[in-house]
Amino acid sequence: MAIPKTLKEKANKEMGISTEDARITKTYLFVAFMALLIGGLLGLLQGLNRAGLLELPSWLNYYQVLTAHGLLLVVVLTAFFTIGYFYAGLSHTLGGLLPKVRKMAWIGFGLKIVGFVFAVIPILMGNASVMYTFYPPMAASPWFYIGLALIVVGVWMCAFGAFIQVANWRKNNKGKHVPILSFFATGVFILLFFGSLPVAIEVIVMIIPWSFGWVKTINVMVARTLFWAFGHTLVNIWYLTAVSAWYVIVPKIIGGKRWSDLLTRIVIIALVIMNITGGFHHQIIDPGISESVKFMHVFMSLAIGFPSLMTAWAMFAVFERTARKNGGKGIVGWYKKMPWGDVRFLAPFIAMLAFIPAGAGGIVQSTNQLNQVVHNTMWIAGHFHLTLGMSVVMTFFGISYWLVPYVSKRVLTPAINKLGVIQTIIWTVGMVIMSGAMHTVGLLGSPRRTSYTTYGDNATALGWNPYLLLLAVGGTLLIIGVLLQVYAVINMMFFAPKGETEFPIAEEEEGASKTPYWTERWGLWIVIMLIFVGMAYVIPLTEFIVNAPPGSPPFKTW
Amino acid sequence: MNQFFSGFLLVIFLALPPVAHLLESIMIVHMHMQMPLLVIAGFLMARLFQLRFPRFFEKWNGNGIPGILLFLIIIVFWTIPRSMDEALNFQSMEIFKFFSLSILAGIPLRDSWKKLSSFGKNAVIIIFTIKYFGMGLLYIKAPVQLCNNYLIMDQLTLGWGFLTTAICLVIYLLYVTFTDPTKYQ
Ligand code: HEM
Ligand SMILES: [Cu+2]
Repeated sequence: MAIPKTLKEKANKEMGISTEDARITKTYLFVAFMALLIGGLLGLLQGLNRAGLLELPSWLNYYQVLTAHGLLLVVVLTAFFTIGYFYAGLSHTLGGLLPKVRKMAWIGFGLKIVGFVFAVIPILMGNASVMYTFYPPMAASPWFYIGLALIVVGVWMCAFGAFIQVANWRKNNKGKHVPILSFFATGVFILLFFGSLPVAIEVIVMIIPWSFGWVKTINVMVARTLFWAFGHTLVNIWYLTAVSAWYVIVPKIIGGKRWSDLLTRIVIIALVIMNITGGFHHQIIDPGISESVKFMHVFMSLAIGFPSLMTAWAMFAVFERTARKNGGKGIVGWYKKMPWGDVRFLAPFIAMLAFIPAGAGGIVQSTNQLNQVVHNTMWIAGHFHLTLGMSVVMTFFGISYWLVPYVSKRVLTPAINKLGVIQTIIWTVGMVIMSGAMHTVGLLGSPRRTSYTTYGDNATALGWNPYLLLLAVGGTLLIIGVLLQVYAVINMMFFAPKGETEFPIAEEEEGASKTPYWTERWGLWIVIMLIFVGMAYVIPLTEFIVNAPPGSPPFKTW
Repeated sequence: MNQFFSGFLLVIFLALPPVAHLLESIMIVHMHMQMPLLVIAGFLMARLFQLRFPRFFEKWNGNGIPGILLFLIIIVFWTIPRSMDEALNFQSMEIFKFFSLSILAGIPLRDSWKKLSSFGKNAVIIIFTIKYFGMGLLYIKAPVQLCNNYLIMDQLTLGWGFLTTAICLVIYLLYVTFTDPTKYQ
């Protein structure tokens, strides 16, 4: 039995992905980049509005646009990209997807698309301007929430498909370690499943009955807490996805070796275990949680910073070692030996650099006193355009320049590579300008999620104008970046010359110590994760429920 | 040595007055975070003792049972409300808490765990599961304050903490019962 299996795996590696598996990833990526296109255009509208250059019509107002922008980019782009990318990775490293798993990916796709349509229609009709966080007591049309619930169920389908695929491989490869990219995928899908449980409870148990009017009131604090248990986990799912490319793909592209296999797996396990509890750093200003409990939660959040720092250290070690092997000299002179002209390296590299200020901003926000300064200001928008809009999305862009040709059985031409490099530069400049302006104007007090207003020509508000203009300049550059990126993806998907593209996975360093088998004990990690979650959530949730205020009826604030 | 040192540092850190005060100011954190951390610290320190006194452990804890019994007794003692109260009221009890949980619970736990059969290990986890359900119900149902130092609300939170942990243990037991590691390993 074992021999044909490995043969099949070999064939899969040599001959590239099967058309059926490729179709899944291609479709997911196509949707992801369409979301980028539409979401980016909406972002431009917001940027122009905030600069006072554009008044949005009453049938498509700022808050409708903002809800759609958030949903398209935070949920659709990231979820579809992550699933498309990891399914290609599972197919490549585990010898092709099982037919059952493929079917689950398609059912999941259908559920997500139907859910998305359910969510978008109320937004367009002006019945769901609740932003992607949909905090009660703001209440949208129930169909909006039903759509969200369907999206979550669709994601679960894909998560379970991945679990089945990995379990099957392990049964056929007794005692072996799951290949590293699939190990990342396992961690990501575990987080996707367990992280979306709380939001599913929030939406299905609390919000839907309340928005239909079957129950009169809702416990706002419980809802927010369940939301952020999910929201924060989602952030780290993107991060883990990007990190998988930094650890596994980028070293191969620069012709180097992967960093310690064992430590990589420990970072993944640590992120999975400690992640969900981080949600509380989004509630530093919320009432009902005592300061000492908040303090301990911040401690937990910063603990997640530790594996992140390990990541940065590991990556720079890999770069330096590879560059030196290629003849790089001097303390810093080795950087000349990096392949700067290769978009598959350049984009994720800048993404990693952006993580330095992004991480620093995150530490600022985790600090109680500093959080009070920036809470709900444009600073926050600046922060997540750095983390998500740069660190994560630019890594995704970098991946697209080999993954799209790989699944389309085409090649990356020098012309598209060049376009990619230009795109990377434009995106970098645009995001630095836009996010810099957002950070600054936020410190000066400009609120987030607020369409253009001068507050009756108040002097402070007028002082924001130059920065808001700068924001629009950055946004305009970004939309050029969006168009170039989407053009590149469409070209690579449908028009580039036919050929074979490699799925770049770096080898382990020679003489690396053997990874112990306990890293594969996911059942144990999940139980430890659940104990962590239980410990972190039991204090605030008991407080919110036992000492609950009367609860709130739904409000339509727009 | 390295492990001993990190365990030792952890005890020192937990004993710092502001840290101890913060952790002890919340009932559930006192019992479900400070105490387990002390056990973990002892667990880490155990390595040095095992290397220094192999004969002692061989002689007194050959099959792991005496060690795990000592561990259980110490842990059960510290889940009694009265013990928590006394740790807060008397300096000597506080010192005994730090000493007993790290040295008398953490070290035997490490020495015994490896020696226990998988049946023995699961038996320990089952004992804890039952105890946690029991303590959880006690703390949730009790209509009066069980500790002089903590409010009923703290007690309720601790009760739910016990129940959630017990549920996690049940999940673990189901996982080891229904998955067959020989299929994978
Ligand atoms: C063309 C590029 C983009 C432009 C011009 C742009 C611009 C903006 C602006 C002006 C806001 C509104 C800030 C406010 O009023 O609070 C915003 C919000 C937001 N953007 Fe972007 N953005 C772009 C790309 C992205 C990308 C690529 C992502 C993530 C993948 C992203 C994620 C978000 C999120 C999550 C929000 C917050 C929505 C909310 O507060 O509900 N944006 N963006
Ligand atoms: Cu977060």
